[in-house]
Amino acid sequence: MVVTASYKDKDGKAVESKQERHYHPQATNCRDTKMKYGAQWKIANIRDTSIQPMQPKKETFEFDLPEGVRSADVTIDVVYEAVNPDNKYPIHSVTKKVSLDK
Amino acid sequence: MRFILLLLIAAFVVMPLSNVEAQKAKTIDELAKQFDSSQCKSCHAEIYAQWEKSHHARPLMGVKGGLMLTPLALKKGQPGSTAFSEDDPKKMKISNFPCFKCHLPQAVNHAEDSVAVELAEALIAKDSAKVAKLQITCIVCHNEKAIIHKRELGAPEKGVIYGKKDVPGHAGGAVKKSAIMNDSVFCGQCHGLGPNLEFDQGFQCANLYGSYLHNYIPNGGTKTCQNCHMEKGDHLIAPNFNDDKQTSELYAKALALDVETLGYEWLRKAGTLVPKIVVGTKLTSNAGHRIPDG
Repeated sequence: MVVTASYKDKDGKAVESKQERHYHPQATNCRDTKMKYGAQWKIANIRDTSIQPMQPKKETFEFDLPEGVRSADVTIDVVYEAVNPDNKYPIHSVTKKVSLDK
Repeated sequence: MRFILLLLIAAFVVMPLSNVEAQKAKTIDELAKQFDSSQCKSCHAEIYAQWEKSHHARPLMGVKGGLMLTPLALKKGQPGSTAFSEDDPKKMKISNFPCFKCHLPQAVNHAEDSVAVELAEALIAKDSAKVAKLQITCIVCHNEKAIIHKRELGAPEKGVIYGKKDVPGHAGGAVKKSAIMNDSVFCGQCHGLGPNLEFDQGFQCANLYGSYLHNYIPNGGTKTCQNCHMEKGDHLIAPNFNDDKQTSELYAKALALDVETLGYEWLRKAGTLVPKIVVGTKLTSNAGHRIPDG
């Protein structure tokens, strides 16, 4: 999941700030601490951030904006990657305008 | 006339099933022939067409044309080679391809080591056409993998097709009920508990069934793999990662996204208000297993 906050700074320059979360089981070969990819290399998971059934995954992302910036467009992209990060399957893309003004 | 036609169909279909016998295949072509299910197409065209697009029809091809077993076929010590590799492809044996446990189950009991040599050489030569001959065919699931209570029920019978129920008079040969064909454990035979520690070099592939057993079931889940992935008997058994649009739609259906936002000015120290945006996300899965897996 990639959350992007886009806004214009006080000089009118477009700025993008991104934060990511990665959801997947992570395994090593149990001989060192390097994560492995590929069944022939892995032996057991050492961490699992995948989305489990009946366990909603909640996140909070915070973006500090420069002084004087009063709004930003926030886009949340949820993408499935298979085999390598270039092979993407888009799942959700939501954009919201967030204002600091009442 | 109709009787003769039925006899002909039966003979046509039963003969290949009868090939699944004691004599082990020495070549890829022989193994492919032993488990050839193309005859099923004549009566089950729609199911066969679904299967042809499935990953079961290309279990050694990976995603989008890859040859996922290639690292095992590389010469030992060569960059990318594995603990299962040998210094000469001609030394490869069935045991050098532990992935066969699920990616080509029929090879474990029905292929000579010469098939492993031929496969290793085909992988190194990037001979996709030859590798593609090795498939998880109808017979693999509907015979080879259809019985897990072998001590009680015996091994799958030669020439018998196992399904959800007995089908008397089935034109393509006897159909007997498999005790597990409707159950998640049937899929769990391959779609994994986690580490495969029964081999002399452990490895880990799919964890899906483990996630199903240890997260979905304990949380009250009652659906089976087949309920969701084989709705109305669909033998595509999605996802099909070669179909981008369908895969995206499947995941969008499985994962709901809720977003909440807040804009305000944060105060940590008097006179230093910081403009801040907070984005809250919630991903809720209605799948019966972790996403992603592997």
